[in-house]
Amino acid sequence: MSHQTLSDSLAEQVKAIPGGEMLMMCFSCGTCTSKCMIQEKLEPNYNPRRLIREAAFNFEETAFTDQTTWLCSACDLCYPACPQKIHISGVITAVKQLAVAQGRQNPYQVAKVDESTCVACGLCVQVCPYQAITLTEKKVPFRGMISVASVDPGKCMACGMCNAACRSTSIRLSQDFNDNRVLENLWSWLESEAA
Amino acid sequence: MVDAARQPLIEVKAYTEVEKVEGFVGNFKVTLREKAKYVRADRCNGCAACANACPVEVPNYFEMNLAPRKAAYVPMSQSVPLIYNIDMDACIHCYKCVEACGALEAIDFSMEDKVTEEDIGAIVVATGFGHFDPTPMTEYGYGRFPNVITAMEMERLNNSAGATHGLVIRPSDNNRPQKLAIINCVGSRDKRYNPSCSNFCCMYAIKNALLLKQMNPDMDISIYYIDIRTPSKGYEEFYDRAREAGIKFIQGRPAEITEDPDSHQLFIKSEDITLGRVIEHEYDLVMLNQAAVPQPDQDHMSSVLNVAQSPGGWFMEYHPKLRPIDSPTDGIFFAGACQGPKDIPASVAQGSAAASRASRILHSDTWQIEPTVAVVWSDRCVSGKGQACGICERACPYGAIDYTKGISAEVITAKCHGCGACVGECPHDAITQLHYTDAQVLAQIRTLLAVEPEKKILAFRCQWCSYGGADLAGTSHFEYSANERGLRVMCSARMDADLIYEAYRLGAGAILYSGCHPQDCHYITGQIVGAKRAARLEKMFARLGMSPGRFRTEWISAAEGDKYARVINEMQAALDAIPEDQLKAEIDRLKPEMEKKLTKLNEIPGVEEAMIQVDFIVKDLLNKAVPV
Repeated sequence: MSHQTLSDSLAEQVKAIPGGEMLMMCFSCGTCTSKCMIQEKLEPNYNPRRLIREAAFNFEETAFTDQTTWLCSACDLCYPACPQKIHISGVITAVKQLAVAQGRQNPYQVAKVDESTCVACGLCVQVCPYQAITLTEKKVPFRGMISVASVDPGKCMACGMCNAACRSTSIRLSQDFNDNRVLENLWSWLESEAA
Repeated sequence: MVDAARQPLIEVKAYTEVEKVEGFVGNFKVTLREKAKYVRADRCNGCAACANACPVEVPNYFEMNLAPRKAAYVPMSQSVPLIYNIDMDACIHCYKCVEACGALEAIDFSMEDKVTEEDIGAIVVATGFGHFDPTPMTEYGYGRFPNVITAMEMERLNNSAGATHGLVIRPSDNNRPQKLAIINCVGSRDKRYNPSCSNFCCMYAIKNALLLKQMNPDMDISIYYIDIRTPSKGYEEFYDRAREAGIKFIQGRPAEITEDPDSHQLFIKSEDITLGRVIEHEYDLVMLNQAAVPQPDQDHMSSVLNVAQSPGGWFMEYHPKLRPIDSPTDGIFFAGACQGPKDIPASVAQGSAAASRASRILHSDTWQIEPTVAVVWSDRCVSGKGQACGICERACPYGAIDYTKGISAEVITAKCHGCGACVGECPHDAITQLHYTDAQVLAQIRTLLAVEPEKKILAFRCQWCSYGGADLAGTSHFEYSANERGLRVMCSARMDADLIYEAYRLGAGAILYSGCHPQDCHYITGQIVGAKRAARLEKMFARLGMSPGRFRTEWISAAEGDKYARVINEMQAALDAIPEDQLKAEIDRLKPEMEKKLTKLNEIPGVEEAMIQVDFIVKDLLNKAVPV
């Protein structure tokens, strides 16, 4: 096993991002982990306390590949429970932003914009709870220099609000949760209920 | 306690409240209200006949309301003195107790509160601590789930004299619990409620767990904790004994307790930190080890005794390391948890220490105080000339100034602690502080600014904090600008505006106004007086068009040597940023403004003579100095 250098560069970077300031205040009581819905319902290995330790002690590779970094939905159930008043989802978002800045891909899906049909109405910008969507000027094939929605993969949590709100079906989640797949699931469930 | 009550020189005044404390060390006048018990202390023999006859039952506070008591009662069976008391809020006036008391005739319904004033030499405050009510922590369900109980409730359940005669039962169905969880740090180490550690609960949880295990060896006991703190002698060994006895220690603060509404079984979900995995266990009974908090009436007591409170609400000691038993008011001492959460050995130690500190006062005819007390020049005080003033009285944190309109203000020397707040505030320079007279401080300023004053940073430091900070910067070898010139006074409240004006008149480059952080002030509220004045000065200098950075206010503790060095370096940088000719022009421009404010300076007794002497000495020294 290689030695991990205890330099504080990752911790300092996280602390410099708004939301990550309180990183070093964690005393590892585990309240956030036992409060977490994602841990309970989705992924038993999910652990915000561990991610904070990884960030605080510069385990950069482990932190950036930890699924906790990518799965947190910032529901903030842990925030009011934390005895140290740490805004945990803020710390996690900071780690995620650093990972994206390094060119890491979100292993989970994010919303994608179909730039050939987007009319830049801004509805998705308004509904996004994570402020992940902005309107940007961009050169799009066959349409020239126009304004289109663009998704920040460091902030998108793939909730699908934009997908549901979009009036030109230009923004969607990947295969698993696109409109067709959701409708198929719904029909098959209704049919099984009817039978 | 019984021994103490029997000691002929000790008088126990039970059921008595302190209403007012006046006077000073060795000469306190304490007003006591002895509340009516409706039972005569000289006749009652504690036979309990009245309680047995009483038909009224109310919840027993001492039993954490788990059991009833009568309207005629003693708080507990070991009460000292063992004299019964009739609770008039509950009494229905059936007079059955009078009948039961019979020939003793101890019960007297015509009794009234007795207010007395006593001469007291020294006061020891031992009012103890209160308990955090876990009801607001809804995640633990205290008050909603019957089987979630507090540590004090467990204490009464497990006590052989308690409501259940020592039988630990589940409140929901009176069954004996087999699986018990103890949750530590309920309300302590929690920034939402009490950020501090309650000191003794780790050991308390282990003690309770071991006691219960001895009574019921089959009981499965888990303690949930963030950290187990066993810092004193023998504590770690005790912790080991608990592990040997099979008590489970789970590191992880539970996020939530849920309940099965039918069986009232409880489920605790927590992360096991060491495993990094979330675990859920079922328990019959959960004990919340709640935080120790100040007594509910601690604020009231603090104003009665005129002693300050630390940020957590506990009584504040004179000095956390060197005088942890004394209050800032001479002659008042603290024993036990009223000064901060403490376990039994520490409370006993502090109690003994407080008693011996107090006895020093009782055994002396005279009492030495610090010599830096304030003195009023009665011929200068405007109150003596019939003007309304009283500024000194309002500034004094100790109530040591006796002000009546029409009579010159007077300092009660025994109460004065020598902060100099009155000296700094008096607009007529009618008060001085021994050893820090205006003449003495002005002489220092003049000497420090004798050569090239525009290059100097004059630092006013308070004796306790910023002076200590500067000292630490030196001993830690933190480098800071050599142009700094330090000057010590007792408190930032002593830093008279006149002293600052005089320094600028002499052409000082920059001035640092520094003192303690407000919560660290060694003179209760001295720093507040100083901070208000500094804010006033800052505003005025800005109005006069002084360059920013030439006057700075900073609160620096004795542990902040690095901050002291940083502040001085920043001030030096700010001074360097002002072009030399611009600075000189500014000093010359402000000089008449300062002189306008200082027209009466030479009227202060001693100042004129001191200035002549200082000028002579400085000139002499400069003549002797070897040019570099």
